[in-house]
Amino acid sequence: MSSFLGPLDSAGCVPRQQQTRVAAFLISAHGALARHLAIAMAVQSKGCRRGELNAQFYRESEIVSLLLHATSWVPDLELLLLAPAWEAAWLITPVPDVVDCIEAATIDLAALGHAIHAAIRPAALLPEAVQPQDAFVQALRRIEFESGRLIQAQILFLKSPELLPIRDAVSSAVERRHLQVRRLWCDMLAGIGMQAERAA
Amino acid sequence: MPFLAHGSYRIHYDLAGPDDGPAFVLVNGLTQYADLWGSYRDALAAKRFRVATFDLLGQGASDKPVLFINQADQITMLAQLIEQLGDRPVFLSGISFGGLIALRYAILHADRIAGLVAMSSFAELSPQLLLLGNALRMGLILGGTSYLQDLLLPMNLSDAWLGPLLENLDAVKRQGWLTNDVYALQNLMESFLDFKPLTGELSSITVPTMILNGEFDFLTPRVLHETLRLHIPDSALVIVPRAYHAFTLEKAPLTIDLLCRFAEDVLASRWKGDRSIWIAPDEPGGPFTPFPSDYDHLRAIPAQRART
Repeated sequence: MSSFLGPLDSAGCVPRQQQTRVAAFLISAHGALARHLAIAMAVQSKGCRRGELNAQFYRESEIVSLLLHATSWVPDLELLLLAPAWEAAWLITPVPDVVDCIEAATIDLAALGHAIHAAIRPAALLPEAVQPQDAFVQALRRIEFESGRLIQAQILFLKSPELLPIRDAVSSAVERRHLQVRRLWCDMLAGIGMQAERAA
Repeated sequence: MPFLAHGSYRIHYDLAGPDDGPAFVLVNGLTQYADLWGSYRDALAAKRFRVATFDLLGQGASDKPVLFINQADQITMLAQLIEQLGDRPVFLSGISFGGLIALRYAILHADRIAGLVAMSSFAELSPQLLLLGNALRMGLILGGTSYLQDLLLPMNLSDAWLGPLLENLDAVKRQGWLTNDVYALQNLMESFLDFKPLTGELSSITVPTMILNGEFDFLTPRVLHETLRLHIPDSALVIVPRAYHAFTLEKAPLTIDLLCRFAEDVLASRWKGDRSIWIAPDEPGGPFTPFPSDYDHLRAIPAQRART
């Protein structure tokens, strides 16, 4: 088993079956974030935070759109089983011990965003010999690059002074989401013949 | 792959060399990982030292706390690793951020180590270092690990080292990029910028201490090492010629030789720190040169020392 996608085809492209599975996972995760952000915008009363949520919503949507166009898709019947499990995992679970239910849900949304942007490193799956101009390769690199920026909003919120009194609850929520996302990501990679420790 | 446990966190470490010799513990800089000490591990083990390398919390194969990294946790993990080495003489050496961790350990546990080697280190966050640290952190945020590496490589390594690698820099950067995660590096950088000055506590480092400073170190210039020299009683400042901040990477054979000679001098009771100032040899095995007493070692031109 390899830590990298492949073996590459003669043009240096990632096998279509691997592209399909990886892209489906990423679309599920970033698509879920986009949906949650859209709802969060509707219930958010603070104008400054709504602006940030709006920016994140469009960038998550862009990631979904990018993958839809850049992936060489093939039929993958296993997705019929995998996708519902992934979608169930992305459901928001309000953080325990936080009285305000909107804040409790917002913390979990930020924790989920932190985990998806931090624990998933799609560009780290690419072997050195990959064709750099391939659309799927460029998409994975762009998603990892954008994730490094998107996570800043989650970091600023999760480390904000207003959450310091419940720092332990916040840290636990983020760690729980990291574990969950890493496990799903590793399982997905194992399903396409990859050794996932490096990616996790 | 062996791990130490601290609460829910695990630290990856590696031991090499004979089980009965004195030990060296090598502490990584901020963007490093344990395998970068490979040549040190092999050379020091061949000289019959037990060698311990490890990834700090947030680095490499060690756990990466999701939101906060506390320097105190790093010290606790380092103490656990040193406990693993038993009663033998232990020499502790760290570079840059790792030097800061080593200094903090030595302040708390000077009785546990036989000697300290602080390389490209500091006890104060000077305005320059604070602003550079903030700028590097912002570079990491905006451009990711790869951009941080792009900033650090020309700042910390010489033309002589970079020149032959210019066409192949992506390959040089790749392992560090694969191993380190943006959020974990950011947490580490924030733990470094959350800085309490150590100067007032340096005098409690009573063990022999060699302070290594690259001649051309831009990131942590000589004046930061001078603070260490002035406050650590049994210290000597050794200037490494034509070296930059990351001289452990660029001048590994020379640095290994300096570490060995320091440990041998301490073990043979030949070491005399006396807050002296030396120029290291250009090549391993060469003689140390006392810094000319008439000249100011804090200047980059041969200015005569001000008379006091």
